[in-house]
Amino acid sequence: MELLLEFLKNTGWYLLDYRYVLMIAIGIFFCYLAIAKEYEPLLLLPIGFGVIVGNLPFFKGFGLGIYENNSVLHYLYFGVTTGLYPSIVFLGLGAMTDFTSMLARPKLMLLGAAAQMGIYFTLLGAMALGFAPKEAGAIAIIGGADGPTSIFLTAKLAPHLIGPIAIAAYSYMALIPIIQPPIMKLLTTKGERRIHMPEDDRTVSRKELLFFPIVGVLLCCLLAPASIPLLGTFFFGNLMKVSGVVDRLAKTASSSIIDTATILLGLTVGASTQADVFITTKSILIFFLGSVAFSIATASGIIFAKIMNLFLKQKINPLLGAAGVSAVPGSAREVHLVAQRADPSNFLLMHAMAANSSGVIGSAICAGILWSFLV
Amino acid sequence: MHGLAAITAHNGWAMAITGACIVMTGLAALVFFISQLHKLISLLEKKEKIAEHTIIPLAEPKVNRPLVESSDILSDLEAAVRILRPLTSQLGETFSLLNLYQLLEADQYPHPHITVREMRNAGYLIPTGDGSFSWRNI
Repeated sequence: MELLLEFLKNTGWYLLDYRYVLMIAIGIFFCYLAIAKEYEPLLLLPIGFGVIVGNLPFFKGFGLGIYENNSVLHYLYFGVTTGLYPSIVFLGLGAMTDFTSMLARPKLMLLGAAAQMGIYFTLLGAMALGFAPKEAGAIAIIGGADGPTSIFLTAKLAPHLIGPIAIAAYSYMALIPIIQPPIMKLLTTKGERRIHMPEDDRTVSRKELLFFPIVGVLLCCLLAPASIPLLGTFFFGNLMKVSGVVDRLAKTASSSIIDTATILLGLTVGASTQADVFITTKSILIFFLGSVAFSIATASGIIFAKIMNLFLKQKINPLLGAAGVSAVPGSAREVHLVAQRADPSNFLLMHAMAANSSGVIGSAICAGILWSFLV
Repeated sequence: MHGLAAITAHNGWAMAITGACIVMTGLAALVFFISQLHKLISLLEKKEKIAEHTIIPLAEPKVNRPLVESSDILSDLEAAVRILRPLTSQLGETFSLLNLYQLLEADQYPHPHITVREMRNAGYLIPTGDGSFSWRNI
């Protein structure tokens, strides 16, 4: 009888408290959003299940938890804390990204820069709320709306905040259809949302596509060398794709490699939200600041597009500014849908993808800048 | 520390403004480059095309090898003359038989001892008197 009682005391049921139950409920909710609502399922499903796995209570010291040395989860988590997985994800993203629309409409790239203002506003906000500068930098990057970039920078600046920051970044990316449209509608008139973009953009040659990754990596990484781990792999992946001579490598990078990294990244980031580490006042503040960052990023892109319109003969649809955040392709798709609601004959997807692609580059540069400022 | 004091103490204003300026500058530079890239490429392509049309490729001076079989050099005297005459043009007006043999060897023709003797007998090859030969004017 005593043995049985002893065994029961070691079970997860005995150790379970409200914090773990809450986190497991959040994990199940993420899985529900991924499966039933199909909100960013590639990210939310592994993260959601990771949250469930990471919050199963256990006796400390058995080498089971993600924060315990020698545990399997700890070894898998190594790729997150070192910034390895984000770099690999960027390699795959580069091999998947088609820059044709961006190269055909270069001025839309400026929207990708403008949408990064959310990062710097949030940096100030986080500092004002009492976060240490490194923590503030890691929180601010949520405004870039780029999960791998957020994880990469947090791993470098404030590794203890990876869980809440990654969850916040991915949650807001998944919630783009809920967060962005109200801001878009608030900052634009119906007339502006109806602006059609010209379809007669020039054809991009293969040589341009080949030059771009090389020039891109030189210009961006010479300006912000700390962005090399992200942009270096990103542009390399793209060069493999456009060169056409290493199709096998490009295919592997854009399928097996990125998928493996995404699975391990999602699962371990989810598992890092262990209730006793995750449920803190800081986490709640991070979620709040993350939503502010994302909203400001969306707004600053739209406002910048309106400012551009003051100087342009051919007006651009200000909704495109909202696609300047680097949540590819979620925000581009949302811009397209909002424009279509105002005018069903308005097709903005390709133009929004131009701003979106530049947002990826912009947020990686910002991560490099913040890292070099704060390290 | 909280509020504006915290921002000032951590140098937040400078970081935010400088960071924003750097990312804008970086992407603006990229925009500028991309907007000029296709012009640059078309300019380079134009130059290449012009070069292709104006520059005559410098071919290596070649000895026109007549359309005769190398075996003809042994059997047909007329054919042998047609082969050997252009070959010796690179040796000058007069040439030694040794140089002629070397040329034939380099061009992998069979050794034409008998043919050369016959050409001398037939008057195609005229000795100059100093060990050299020249061709009879046709």
